[in-house]
Amino acid sequence: MPMALIELHNLQKTYRVYQKKEGLRASVKGLFKRTYKDVHAVKGIDLQVDQGEFVAFLGPNGAGKTTTLKLLSGVIHPTAGTASVMGHTPWQRENDYRRRFALVMGQKNQLWWDLPAQESFRLHQQIYGIETQQFNNTLDELTDLLGLRELLSQPVRELSLGERMKMELTAALLHRPEVLFLDEPTIGLDVIAQHNIQQFLKYYQQKRGITILLTSHYMKDVAALCKRVVIIADGRIQYDGSLSGIIDETTNRKLVTLQFADPITLQLLKSLERFGTIVQDEAPRVTLEVTRDDVPAMLTAILDAHDIDDLIVEEPPLEQVIADVFTRVTKSSLDARAENGDC
Amino acid sequence: MATVASNQRGTGSRLKTWWTILKISLEERFVYRGDFALGTLMRFLPIITQVFLWYAIFAASGKEKIEAYTANGVVAYYMLTMISRAFSSMPGLCSGIALQVRDGEIKKYLIQPIDLLGFLLLTRIAHKLCYYVIALIPFTFVFFLCRGFFENGWPEASVLCAYFLSLIMGFLLGFFMEASLGLVSFWFLEVTSLAFVYNLLNFFLSGHMFPLDLLPDWAAQFINLLPFQYLAYYPAAIFQGTIEPNQVWQGMALEACWLMAFIMIARIMLNRGIHRYSGFGG
Amino acid sequence: MTGYRPSYLNVFLTFARNSLVRDMSFRANFILQCISTISWTVMNIGFYLIVFQYTDSIGKETGWGRNEFFVFLATTWIINSLVQTFFMPNAQQFSELIRSGNLDFALLKPIDTQFVISFPRVDWAALSNLFVGFTLLCYSLYQLTTKAENPLIIDWRSILMYPFYIGCGTVIMYSVMITLAATSVWLGRNQTLYNFWFYITNFSRYPMEIYKVGWGMALWVFFTFIIPVLLVVNIPARIMARPLNTMNSQMWQLAGFAILATVACLMISRRIFVRALKSYRSASS
Repeated sequence: MPMALIELHNLQKTYRVYQKKEGLRASVKGLFKRTYKDVHAVKGIDLQVDQGEFVAFLGPNGAGKTTTLKLLSGVIHPTAGTASVMGHTPWQRENDYRRRFALVMGQKNQLWWDLPAQESFRLHQQIYGIETQQFNNTLDELTDLLGLRELLSQPVRELSLGERMKMELTAALLHRPEVLFLDEPTIGLDVIAQHNIQQFLKYYQQKRGITILLTSHYMKDVAALCKRVVIIADGRIQYDGSLSGIIDETTNRKLVTLQFADPITLQLLKSLERFGTIVQDEAPRVTLEVTRDDVPAMLTAILDAHDIDDLIVEEPPLEQVIADVFTRVTKSSLDARAENGDC
Repeated sequence: MATVASNQRGTGSRLKTWWTILKISLEERFVYRGDFALGTLMRFLPIITQVFLWYAIFAASGKEKIEAYTANGVVAYYMLTMISRAFSSMPGLCSGIALQVRDGEIKKYLIQPIDLLGFLLLTRIAHKLCYYVIALIPFTFVFFLCRGFFENGWPEASVLCAYFLSLIMGFLLGFFMEASLGLVSFWFLEVTSLAFVYNLLNFFLSGHMFPLDLLPDWAAQFINLLPFQYLAYYPAAIFQGTIEPNQVWQGMALEACWLMAFIMIARIMLNRGIHRYSGFGG
Repeated sequence: MTGYRPSYLNVFLTFARNSLVRDMSFRANFILQCISTISWTVMNIGFYLIVFQYTDSIGKETGWGRNEFFVFLATTWIINSLVQTFFMPNAQQFSELIRSGNLDFALLKPIDTQFVISFPRVDWAALSNLFVGFTLLCYSLYQLTTKAENPLIIDWRSILMYPFYIGCGTVIMYSVMITLAATSVWLGRNQTLYNFWFYITNFSRYPMEIYKVGWGMALWVFFTFIIPVLLVVNIPARIMARPLNTMNSQMWQLAGFAILATVACLMISRRIFVRALKSYRSASS
């Protein structure tokens, strides 16, 4: 079996953080003696990504997504574990490796604030040693795709957030990286700009066959772009698989909506409650959350007893499923900590 | 206007707000201990070179006294201007305001019931208080070590009073001068070079670079009318008795005038600036 | 594409060009900055004009008379302007990069990280001081070579050594500066960087002879051999301002040592820089 393009084994990262205490007296004390706390940002991640995949990292804030991306781009050193990206160990920061990937962070910008973006691009050309012919072709292609042509000669500080993000993406893609790490690329953008960037990423990824790892808080980004989803919470991978698979694997519930021909009585509602919880009651429709295995039995029973005009069986919404996964993880880790007397 | 909102509430709750601001900035200061320790230590270094420079000058000139100063007197003068500067210098005030205007952070003060100048003044007082707490030990140590340079010993109680008053006024004058400068950023985005010119004039005209008495008479007379001398020279001169005690109050009156003027300038600029800013829609 | 190495010269020229484009887009500011830089220098000269009203030389029998000292001062400004043009804005930016976490981007670039941090900004306005320094140098050398009594005859070896030692001095200053900037990794916010820099380099602004009295010897040793900022201006200024045949053997030894010190400073600062990066990379979040 050929080696995957990106391979992580038991990757861990622990930070030592200075603990600032409340109050003036404690601050003065902090001058002389400081207490530190170990924060385990990443607690052991194993992951394989093949070439051409578009993978989304999902997780609550502080789950370790950004830390993982930073480890993969060699910006920080791991505490333990190994990683290989295209055969390179990221934190050795070889120039050959750094020429082959790019990192875009939605919260930070690397373009010169007071200069037109094209000046920053030219600097990239020099730093990455891109031939002029190739540079011009790539730049033309990207500016056309993102609709930036008229904005190239405007100082970056005068651009809107969405335009600036597109410029950042352009800068990151100028040297035609084979692997792209995107950290919250659509954060703070309006719906249209978000959509534009999604469309662009989708098109570009398919055309060039590059591998992309993306973190995002927007489920729309993920649903539009990624077939594969990795849920990270509490520094570990909680789920790794297809987007639709999350629902199969993490929830065994279905939403059943029934439209009754007869008026709905209190008695009827009571009789429904033995199958599951009623989540919505808007006559003549009632929506129930039911355990997946109980669905056939329930339907037989109800269709026997009542006249039903319409019937829908559906999956719970994605946002809710993922939120459920997050809360479950956070809760179980809190429980574990409480048992160990950590709190 | 932000002040109106806070005026509507009781004085008690306003005091509480200010106290919280003061406390937070004190805490913030103490967290950055490295910065602190370095800053205090380094302040004494330039004095050393001044000592050697002036001893070399006196040695080569063969004179006992240059104008009103002996070699020791000059060193004492530089040490005293360090105290003056510890009160009147406002590192980061002008650039801080400019940055806030530039980044749009100034909007915060339009929304919250906080007055920008009041807030900055309090943070500055907190900053200074912290600085004095930490700097008191090294200052006392160095002054004790260098007490030999002060040939005249302690001045009279009344002179000391005038001295402390001039220090406090120096602080306020320094604050409002630099705040006014920072507020210029409502009109010109880049004020760094303006700040540089200010610091330049300040360094030269405040007497931080050399005792103003060494200047030719015509220049000294002119500089005596400017506000800069109160930031370094004036308190030191009061302490050393270079200024006749009966002339001290005359100078202080002029200082009070300058202070009032700059308080008003800063106020007007803030109001106009905010007006202009909200006009543009940020 | 692999195997291609970026041309450091081209990258630097792009840095310089971009900085110029930026400076020119704030033209009024640029001019104001030039003026203020120059007036700062002029004020300094003014101070020494006042001093020389009361004395003939700095220190007794040190040979630093008015015009010799102005050669010294010119040298100070020449080196200073080089440092402020090419290194100062970057050192300040470095601290800011550490604070904001934007250092990440520098680490991603397939180019030496110290290079990409040391050179991106060029403060063209600060270069105006170079002209002031050069003018002052020419003026005082003219005064020295044309004075009635004992005029200075400039040796061709002085003309060769002067720019060389200015280069050495600039490198020493750069090393001190990048070392200071790197400390902000450990000290967090580092507003005092500029002050610290000013205070340390302050020692370099005077002829070293003035320290050679009493306990000043300790300072002289410290700032000559430990942090060799005393060599920065003193060596080139001494070589230019006064005849070479009056240089004693100690001065020649120091001149030799200055070359060694330059290399050592550069290497040590590089090590500290690399260590700072390592600390940053294991601490940043």
